Amino acid sequence: MNKQTKVWLVLSIALSLLVLGSACGGGGTNKEATPGTTASDAGTAPPTGPTGTISGVISYNGTPPAPKKIDTTADPVCGQKSPNLSTDDTLVKDGKLANTFIYIKDGTVDGGKKIGEYTWPTPTESVKLDQNGCHYAPHVLGVQVNQKLTITNSDATQHNIHPTPKLNAEWNQTQSNGAPPIEKSFGRAETLIPVKCNQHPWMKAYIGVLKHPLFAVSDANGAFTIAKVPPGKYTVVAWREGQQPEEQTLEVTVAANGTAKADFAFPKAGAATSSTKSSLQMLPAIEFPMMGKH
Amino acid sequence: MNRGLNRFAIFVACATFFLIIAGALVTSNDAGLATPDWPLSNGQVFPKMVGNLFWEHGHRMVATTVGILTIVLLFYIWFKEKRSWVRKLGIFALCAVVAQGLLGGLTVKLMLPLAVSSAHATLAQLFFCTTVSLAVFTSRSWIEARPLTEEKGILPLRYLCTGALVTIFLQLILGATLRHSATWDRHLPVELILAHIGGAVAVTLMLGSASLSVLRRHPESRFLTRPAKLALALLVIQLGLGIAAYMTRLASPNDPQPLNPMISITVAHVACGALVFVTTIVLTLRTYRVLPAAGNEASWAARPQEL
Repeated sequence: MNKQTKVWLVLSIALSLLVLGSACGGGGTNKEATPGTTASDAGTAPPTGPTGTISGVISYNGTPPAPKKIDTTADPVCGQKSPNLSTDDTLVKDGKLANTFIYIKDGTVDGGKKIGEYTWPTPTESVKLDQNGCHYAPHVLGVQVNQKLTITNSDATQHNIHPTPKLNAEWNQTQSNGAPPIEKSFGRAETLIPVKCNQHPWMKAYIGVLKHPLFAVSDANGAFTIAKVPPGKYTVVAWREGQQPEEQTLEVTVAANGTAKADFAFPKAGAATSSTKSSLQMLPAIEFPMMGKH
Repeated sequence: MNRGLNRFAIFVACATFFLIIAGALVTSNDAGLATPDWPLSNGQVFPKMVGNLFWEHGHRMVATTVGILTIVLLFYIWFKEKRSWVRKLGIFALCAVVAQGLLGGLTVKLMLPLAVSSAHATLAQLFFCTTVSLAVFTSRSWIEARPLTEEKGILPLRYLCTGALVTIFLQLILGATLRHSATWDRHLPVELILAHIGGAVAVTLMLGSASLSVLRRHPESRFLTRPAKLALALLVIQLGLGIAAYMTRLASPNDPQPLNPMISITVAHVACGALVFVTTIVLTLRTYRVLPAAGNEASWAARPQEL
């Protein structure tokens, strides 16, 4: 074997291993933890002492779109268990909007420090996400960075959990009926991560990942409460899903043992809904790197 | 000429067309990641094909069948075909189908990166082109074709048809990229839509002029006029399907899941695009078969049997 042949042989083997490595690796790994974002990093502990509360109600302006019926017949189990499943992206009851994610985005704690400078401990209890009736429950949820997310399957069919984050690592894992819960966590703060099921394309959920526990999801009556907020001035964000997810912000001041009000109304007065936009307005450019995921 | 070989090559080409439709159904149903593993589906050879797994695993089964058929075709060619370049094309077809399978696996394992998914869709068209070419080269009409002596016109038909073919191929790449750039629940990128519309105009001009030139210059040669007429008819259908696909895809993000008519129309658009491509290939190959290169009429007419 001459020298040139050896070089080509080594190069070919290296290339093959590279392709194999990229093809075989990655599936269910969770490698998103990065310095500066995990709760295990040394940092300032959150302030102790009396705290306050932020509470409010999310209203819906105008007539909400009627829920759309989902065709679940592609999977007989779904068809049998949830024959009347419909979309839950805009759940409105008496003018109040459920499934809105509200969180403190920024702000200054009394004493002068920014909220982002504190490091909250990672909760030991996990957050549950269940697949029941070919439907994610809850539809919108929040976790802290590195907090355990426990995913269960209550259906007699297999599901496929596939979060599509931008900052955390993407993964895609099948969960058969009767399979043990899947435990995952996200190492970076990110609001909000869409989750879908590639087996049942109508199944969607959204996960808000934050470095602190100061978040809430509006209930069926549109109400929410963020408890144990250190006294200070904050920027509160309310996020709701949609073809173009909508965010609104509000500045609030929280006093010790006090309750600050933060009411929001969607869609913002005067904002056009997606159904009223012209076709070209409906076609926003998306990121277009050739290696980007779709 | 072996009639059995030609029939089998046509069969493989038809199976490949069916495979393209199966692949398009995977994309339209957003089923590409219905199972995260490859080559097995959820760790099984025959999983329960419910939900989107029906489309993804179904596509894998059809692809496996086409792979086996391609191997058989290569053996058939090897034993029955004397022309070495046809044998080489058979080897190329096998390499292409293997590469296509690997690309399919890679795009699943890497969770559908745009470049890999688009390459997978593009190579599918090239493989289809190869199987159709094999069917053409082993056909009686190809073997028995006699040269046409007169090439009337300023620009040789060979060049016109080749230009149309290259334009269609570029348009197919654009279409594949557009299709894989956003799932049904997201809006398509405007830049790519505009590029694809521009491509459609270019294809219409190129293929229209090539086909009409064939019909005008050689109306007596059915060997040339049949694919030219078919290409024109398919082009008209494809333009209509393209408009319909755009209209239905526009509303798709507001649907709770991929629904008809969006699925059927976009799949029909992909399938018809493939047919326009291979019909143009047949036309182009035939122009090379019966029309001499400019300034080389005498030497070509003397050795048509080599083709």
